[in-house]
This record gives sequence, C-alpha cells and structure tokens, in this order.
Amino acid sequence: MSPPVKIIGHYASPYSHRVEMALQLKGVPYELIQEDLSNKSELLLAKNPVHKKVPVLLHGDLAICESLVIVEYIDEAFDGPSILPADPYDRAMARFWTNFIDTKFSQPIWLAYWSEGEAQKAVVKETKENLALLEAQLNGKRFFGGDTPGYLDIAACMLGPWIGVLEEVTGVTLVNGNEFPALCQWAKEYSSSEALEPCHPDRDRLVAYFTENKEKYKMMAKTMLQQ
Amino acid sequence: MAAAAAAVEVTVVDFWCNEFGMRARLALREKRVPFEFVEEDLRVRERSDLVRRMNPVHRAIPILIHAGRPVCGSLNIVEYVDEVWSKTPRLLPADPLERANARFWADFVDQKVYDAQARFFTNRGEEKAAAMAELLGHLRRLEAVLRDRPFFGGDEFGFLDVALVPFSSMFYGYERHGGVDMEAECPVLLRWVRRCGERVSVRDVLPSGQDMYAIHKEFYQTE
Repeated sequence: MSPPVKIIGHYASPYSHRVEMALQLKGVPYELIQEDLSNKSELLLAKNPVHKKVPVLLHGDLAICESLVIVEYIDEAFDGPSILPADPYDRAMARFWTNFIDTKFSQPIWLAYWSEGEAQKAVVKETKENLALLEAQLNGKRFFGGDTPGYLDIAACMLGPWIGVLEEVTGVTLVNGNEFPALCQWAKEYSSSEALEPCHPDRDRLVAYFTENKEKYKMMAKTMLQQ
Repeated sequence: MAAAAAAVEVTVVDFWCNEFGMRARLALREKRVPFEFVEEDLRVRERSDLVRRMNPVHRAIPILIHAGRPVCGSLNIVEYVDEVWSKTPRLLPADPLERANARFWADFVDQKVYDAQARFFTNRGEEKAAAMAELLGHLRRLEAVLRDRPFFGGDEFGFLDVALVPFSSMFYGYERHGGVDMEAECPVLLRWVRRCGERVSVRDVLPSGQDMYAIHKEFYQTE
C-alpha cells in the first residue's frame, strides 16, 4: 500500500496547480490541504522551513518543496505515463523552457497585468517578446509535450486557466488570438483535456480571489516597478 | 579519425571565472568527457556571435554544444551530461527523494547564494554587512545538509557538490573584501572544500581565490 500523498497548496496558485496536474497525469490520488497564505500554518512552516511557500508535496513522511522539483519527483517516484520526455536532449529542452518560465517569464507578465501607465509599457513589451518565444515552441503541436501534456505544459499552466481570469479582472489583454493563435489554441486544448479535467481550477473562485486582491496586487506591482 | 571527431564533439562556451560555467566543466571532467573550451570574455559588453546564435533567449554562458546542438543553463547542462554519459558514475543518485533533495538545494544555491554574494560585492556599509550575514546564513544551512558526510552526494562527489563547489573559489574574496574568517564561520564547509580540492577535476577547473578576487574586483569595481 503506497504512503498517502498530500499537497499543501492554494487554489489560486499556478505553482500549486502544477503539482495537482502532475499527480493527475500519473493517476495518483491525493488530498489537497488549502493553506491560508495570510496566516501560514505550523504544518507549512515545518515542512518548508527554507522558503515557507506553497506548494509542498507530502508523500508519507517525506516533504518535497519547489514546484518543478516536485513535478520531477512525481515523474520518478510513481509509475504511469512519463511527464518528461525520454531523450536526454528533449529533456534538456523541456528543462530549459520551464526554467525560462520561472526566471524570465513569470514576473514580467504578472507585472504587465497589475501595473499601469508608463511603467506598464516596458513590461508589456517584454511579456509579448516572451509570449512569442513560447508561441514558437508550440510549433503546430497540440501541447508543448506533443500529443499529450508534458513537463512544459505543466510549467506553463498559468497560460491556461489564469490568463482568462487575469484579463477579466484587470481589463488588460495580452494573450490575444491575433498575435498568439497557438497559445490561445493551447489554452483551449488544456481546458478541454479529459486527463486534466478533475483538477481544473474553479474559474469563478479564481475571479473572486483576484478581484478581492486586486488593489493589493496593483500596489505591489507599483512598488516593484519603482525600484 | 574517429577519436579526433569525438574530441571536438563537445564544446563548452564559458569564461574561466564563471562559477556557473565551472559546474559544466566539472561535470564533463568527472565523466572524463573530452571537450573544447571556447572562452567568452565577460568583460566585453557585447556577446559574441556564437553565444547569440547558441543561446538567443538569454545570451548567457555557459553553453554546452554537443554534436552541434546547444544546451543552456548550468544545472541543465550537468543533468544532461549525467544522462548522456550514463555509464560513468552518476552525479545524481538513483533514489527519487535523494534526487529531489539534490535539485532542491542546487536551486537554493541559485536562488539565494549567488544573489547574496553579488549584493555583498556591489553594496557598501550596512547593506554589504547585511548581505554577508545573509550569505553566511545560507552557507550554514548547506552545512546542515552536508552534516558529517564526505560529500553532499554522500560517499561520492555528486550533483550538489558540483553545483556548490565553484562558489568556494570566492571564499578568499569574502575574507579580503568583508573581513570574514571563513574557517571560523563555516568549518564544516571548509573541510568539504578541502576534500573536494583533492579531486583532479576541482583542482583543474577552479581558479585560485586570489585570481577570482582580482577579477571580481575588476567586474564590481570595488576598492
């Protein structure tokens, strides 16, 4: 009997969602423990003392932190369809682009949605350049991983459910069908994927969350761009 | 000749004092893979045509070029080398949890250690002292991970050893620039550094503390 699998996560976090996607694709049942990020639990602080962040994967007594480290762990620790490709060069390409998402892509797009005025222009430009790079990576495929979702699809999940929500709440349009047809199609493939359906986030709940936190995020973006 | 073709099949584009690039070169040496070292002088502002062609997204080094195809990102390169030349002792262990731990802590080095080191060299006064205090805190966390084992990889030199040991070439710089006594602050780590220094790969790849300090002074224009 395999030890129980739990995620300490948050429904509005794409990083947390990555872990759910990975477990879903592997067919591993899990329990999701929702963390209150404004009042972090003893459990979270004990299991992720270094970063104190979600997601954390609990596999029996083991705790694994950092979403992409967790996804690779899930791929290696559990049987089921492979998340990373088999060929070393393809794996290196997948890791390159997931690293790109985390180190170059995520912050500018977040700032592009939440900032305003002159400061917003530069991050919008940078975001569109980054989106174009990801658009090119799809290259006619249904998913970044090919016919089925893989490691890069998991890493890029923010471009699925979150984009529509952020564009509705902020009124900012970035991922439009004219400039990024492949990414828009990818988002559709993602949302209609039967394999991922059980862990799809609740759109209304996401809209409520980002609406509630709108002023806070706008203030954070303003502060960050002033530095 | 087949041997000559194999010898130029792997190229590393790097600069001698780049801590991230040292990871790639250490991995190749540990695996006994011959490679050509193409130097990219980071003191020159513009990147070369080669770098811009092989890493258009980041225009950064190190870049591993294997049979004409680029691999970018230092830890990515180390994993790739480990997977391609898999018959030689593995840098990442077989166990998924140990692999996750090695990757987690290597990512910690990237997220925390390098950033604090850079702030230590670029800031002055209170901010400089705060950066060094932070940096020592990170190194002590890593000492707790090492415990009393010979290497982060356990009995064998492994992935996390490769990820971290290049930063030890800056310890002399911490002492000179910050008045830090590294032996007193991180004795467990210093013992590990000396043990790593017994390896031919580490001796060949890591520059001397003096050379590292001198070129970083040039980069950061300190003192």
